[in-house]
Amino acid sequence: MGPGDLERILKKLPEETAPELLSSVRSGEDAGVYLLREGLALVQTVDFFPPMVDDPYTFGQITAANALSDIYAMGGRPLTALNIVAYPRALDLDVLEEILLGGHDKIHEAGAVVAGGHTIEDEELKYGMCVTGVVDPAKITTISGAKAGDTLVLTKPVGTGILATALKAGLVAEEDIGDAIASMVALNAAAADVLSRHRVSACTDVTGFGLAGHLFEMISAGGVSAELWASEVPLFRRSLEMLSMGMSTEGQSRNKSYVTTVEVLTGGEDELLLDCLFDPQTSGGLLAAVDSSDAASALAELQSGPCPAAAAVGTVLAGPEPRLVIRHGRDFHERRIH
Amino acid sequence: MSDEYIDCSGLKCPEPVMKAREALASARGPFTVLVDNETARDNVARFARTSGCEVHVNKALGGFLLKITPGAEMPLETSGSQVECSTGKGTVVLISSDEIGRGERELGVALMKSFLYASAEADEAPSRIVFMNTGVRLVTESDETAAHVKALEDRGAEVLVCGTCLDFYGLKDRLKAGLVSNMYDIQSALIGAYNVVSI
Repeated sequence: MGPGDLERILKKLPEETAPELLSSVRSGEDAGVYLLREGLALVQTVDFFPPMVDDPYTFGQITAANALSDIYAMGGRPLTALNIVAYPRALDLDVLEEILLGGHDKIHEAGAVVAGGHTIEDEELKYGMCVTGVVDPAKITTISGAKAGDTLVLTKPVGTGILATALKAGLVAEEDIGDAIASMVALNAAAADVLSRHRVSACTDVTGFGLAGHLFEMISAGGVSAELWASEVPLFRRSLEMLSMGMSTEGQSRNKSYVTTVEVLTGGEDELLLDCLFDPQTSGGLLAAVDSSDAASALAELQSGPCPAAAAVGTVLAGPEPRLVIRHGRDFHERRIH
Repeated sequence: MSDEYIDCSGLKCPEPVMKAREALASARGPFTVLVDNETARDNVARFARTSGCEVHVNKALGGFLLKITPGAEMPLETSGSQVECSTGKGTVVLISSDEIGRGERELGVALMKSFLYASAEADEAPSRIVFMNTGVRLVTESDETAAHVKALEDRGAEVLVCGTCLDFYGLKDRLKAGLVSNMYDIQSALIGAYNVVSI
């Protein structure tokens, strides 16, 4: 569901006040964090969705990578995972086996174990996971905390929503979008590890609300503003082409309506590029606000290591209003007439 | 022969585009697509334009009607020959005042309101509208004119509003239609246009 609707509902629920609960549901935190004892907190998250690719093993892997992502975004280490399955009676059970195997293998790659799960019958296939991990409360990277001057670093390209739609429409085959599938399957573990060795003031993973939506959550939680450089955002190969063929979802429009205080200074030419910024992602990368003096070394390590496409996509500006400014590029405005 | 009509109401993306794509593959002339939401409207329009068709969007009961006219085999040559242009397509309207002409202000303001209303109702929307100087009042201070401009936007017109002008008049927070833009983009919109109409 869209970020705006969700926010309205969450605001109406009674607020959790237990002192052990370190995370806040209302600020759009990626995972729940619960203090067990000094120096040790539990971090929990859950995620599930219908298939975005045809191959069941790949779907299982992507689902697990996506669920684990919230743990990595907070600087945690995953320990256990539980499967959640909604399965149509008519579907061959071999398919389910492949899905669960994909999930199992990915969880093991992350150094965690699958501890069980729950299955129900449903008309549409859905698979997800609930992941539990641990984190040192002193080292949590939350969604709030971004400060003016920080560089916004994105570790994976965007465009999975567009490409999944194109796949559904039959405009591309899985082999045409290999770069996006490989990226969705890839864990954010190594990226989180690189970031943990740099001064990161806020971090989140990019999923359903799209890059601009998650950035807007980050600046809303942190009481800051931000500038996003559209042309610096890495895209999967066929995304712009497929977008020009009308391959976008309602999720994209919902994400656009969530980002209420946005100022677009790119002119008319970047229309497709702009839409990509709001494209809902599956198992997207990490978006981190990195201290500007650490950004170059963090980027170099990411690019030469686990995330060749990692890029500096914007900068954090002073608040307190969460205003998102989208420009064509990093230096574009400097040569413009005002 | 009446045009083919495809009802895509109730269909979720990407289905309306898939239907339009099927129709285009066998189309021998213009056809009409009904969609019931803005996302489908934008996606079908985008698909059709990318495929070299001409697209006209109109509001309809329960959604939007898109009239799609398949183009020649390939999009027209980009260099050399001038692209044949009918009224709205490729036209940029520059509005640099909140009134039309110089005379009694009351008349000028009424004329501008009426021009925007007529533009919103016309068969063809301009491709871009640029608001500058006191023109920015039309998309900020006045709900009535902003609604006409919004209607034009809904029909695919791109609306650029001068950010410097909004700042100057302290209207930045009151923008009701269009996108905040700058002189660089406005300049390229005007110079790159096939046809500029200055009001």
